[in-house]
Amino acid sequence: MSKDSQMRAAINQKLIEMGERERLKELLRAKLVECGWKDQLKAHCKDVIIEKGLEHVTVEDLVTEVTPKGRALVPDSVKKELLQRIRAFLA
Amino acid sequence: MSPAGCSHVNGYKVENWKQNLRVIYQCFVWSGTAETRRRKAKSCICHMCGAHLNRLHSCLYCVFFGCFTKKHIHEHAKSKRHNLAIDLLYGGIYCFVCQDYIYDKDMEQIAKEEQRKAWKFAVPNLLTYTTWEPTKRELELLRHNPKRRKITTNCTIGLRGLINLGNTCFMNCIVQALTHTPLLRDFFLSDRHKCEMQSNSCLVCEMSQLFQEFYSGHRSPHIPFRLLHLVWTHARHLAGYEQQDAHEFLIAALDVLHRHWDDNGKKANNPNHCNCIIDQIFTGGLQSDVTCQVCHGVSTTIDPFWDISLDLPGSSTPFWPLSPGGDGSTVNGESHMTGPTTLTDCLRRFTRPEHLGSSAKIKCGGCHSYQESTKQLTMKKLPIVACFHLKRFEHSAKLRRKITTYVSFPLELDMTPFMASSKESRMNGQYQQTVDILNNDNKYSLFAVVNHQGTLESGHYTSFIRQHKDQWFKCDDAIITKASIKDVLDSEGYLLFYHKQFLEYE
Repeated sequence: MSKDSQMRAAINQKLIEMGERERLKELLRAKLVECGWKDQLKAHCKDVIIEKGLEHVTVEDLVTEVTPKGRALVPDSVKKELLQRIRAFLA
Repeated sequence: MSPAGCSHVNGYKVENWKQNLRVIYQCFVWSGTAETRRRKAKSCICHMCGAHLNRLHSCLYCVFFGCFTKKHIHEHAKSKRHNLAIDLLYGGIYCFVCQDYIYDKDMEQIAKEEQRKAWKFAVPNLLTYTTWEPTKRELELLRHNPKRRKITTNCTIGLRGLINLGNTCFMNCIVQALTHTPLLRDFFLSDRHKCEMQSNSCLVCEMSQLFQEFYSGHRSPHIPFRLLHLVWTHARHLAGYEQQDAHEFLIAALDVLHRHWDDNGKKANNPNHCNCIIDQIFTGGLQSDVTCQVCHGVSTTIDPFWDISLDLPGSSTPFWPLSPGGDGSTVNGESHMTGPTTLTDCLRRFTRPEHLGSSAKIKCGGCHSYQESTKQLTMKKLPIVACFHLKRFEHSAKLRRKITTYVSFPLELDMTPFMASSKESRMNGQYQQTVDILNNDNKYSLFAVVNHQGTLESGHYTSFIRQHKDQWFKCDDAIITKASIKDVLDSEGYLLFYHKQFLEYE
């Protein structure tokens, strides 16, 4: 494992151990609902389901179709806030 | 994806499978206690590549963790013929034969229970609600009553005019504001009032009836004669055909509703600990701090309130009096005002420290004598619906007049600067920059405005109310017209109704 991923793993471990990961997840969840991201993606998911057909669509289909859009639509302000919070935690 | 679950789980459902599954959820998916969290942090990495991201899954048949994205868990499933895996992030069960996540009723039940258990240990303020799923009985009811009302973005349900029964516009506009208060509406439409009053004069029942009328879909104006009669019966000072004050009516109405809520006498024993919907929605706490100028001892009282009455510039009391003890953020002297007065200006004035002067000395508990003091009001607890009353009607000994100064008010209001807690942090030297990100508790949205046109002697009340997040309508007795946000914000404003943006479960 590279040094980078080693550090990532260590940080992740600390976040989980202190319960901070859960708190961050909830914070992110609240922020994404607030800025309308959740609604946007929900609409997109519905489109994908209609396109593929309700009987045949799999979770994989949705993940493949929706992930890139989801990543792109996260507002910079939310990213900044989360980063700040993580930095504060690690300090 | 079949809603009936897949048959391949049957191979797993042997012996002690339920307990085994619970352990997996407790240890690796939703780790509640510190111990399980530590274990999760250490052991939840892919057995093939060591990564902890990449949608880690755990095999259900043996101890193996593998990445989903890199297909490591797929390789394991193929080689060992272990067909089921669980997503460690969300707890979903994946079947490699069906090649999709499956939803087995028994497994879902276990997942839900474990999730709820884990959440109890986690941060206590997290929202711990789950989505509603109908019970068998509820499904039955839904099937037997197939009529549905669909709310689209431009449907006008909930909007109805009110006939003016002779200068009753003061009542009509308050009724419009109340029937469009979301929490109140939800309460009454879900039939939550069980009347225990023997007579027919329960105002709460009448409100309930009113909501039924408003949301019935009828577009003709409603004639609120029963409501008017009940108001006359229970609030004598409002009876008569003269024009009354809408604000007085609001307070009287809230008071009667509050009193009628539980007329079994339970209230009489404990009037301050009522849990009626009126208190839950409208009651806030106003903190009054009186600081002795000599010993700096602070005497604090907290009083409940249903509305905040704000003085306006142009009244006989100066808007920004010179206050020697005030903090640096106030403006001294009216000539410093630039631009129109805002609601925030009025709130700032309301919560500024006020020097009580030598003619109004307070007995200080610390000094044991009468001393000069400063008094400051702040919000201790904010209600879910905050009603601001702009004091436009001046009834002093010398004159009676209406103050028509324009006060600009916002669509969204943040009450944080006026909170008692903010004042404390300011006094302790902490600044608002490090605001708790999760605290959205003080943000409010405008949803109704009551306006008065005309003079003190002869005037007319109208209201603006909000539907569907950003559509506004003007209610002028029986006439409802569409209004723009600009119309609303440009209006004079007499009563302003704000609703908390984020609601939390108790």
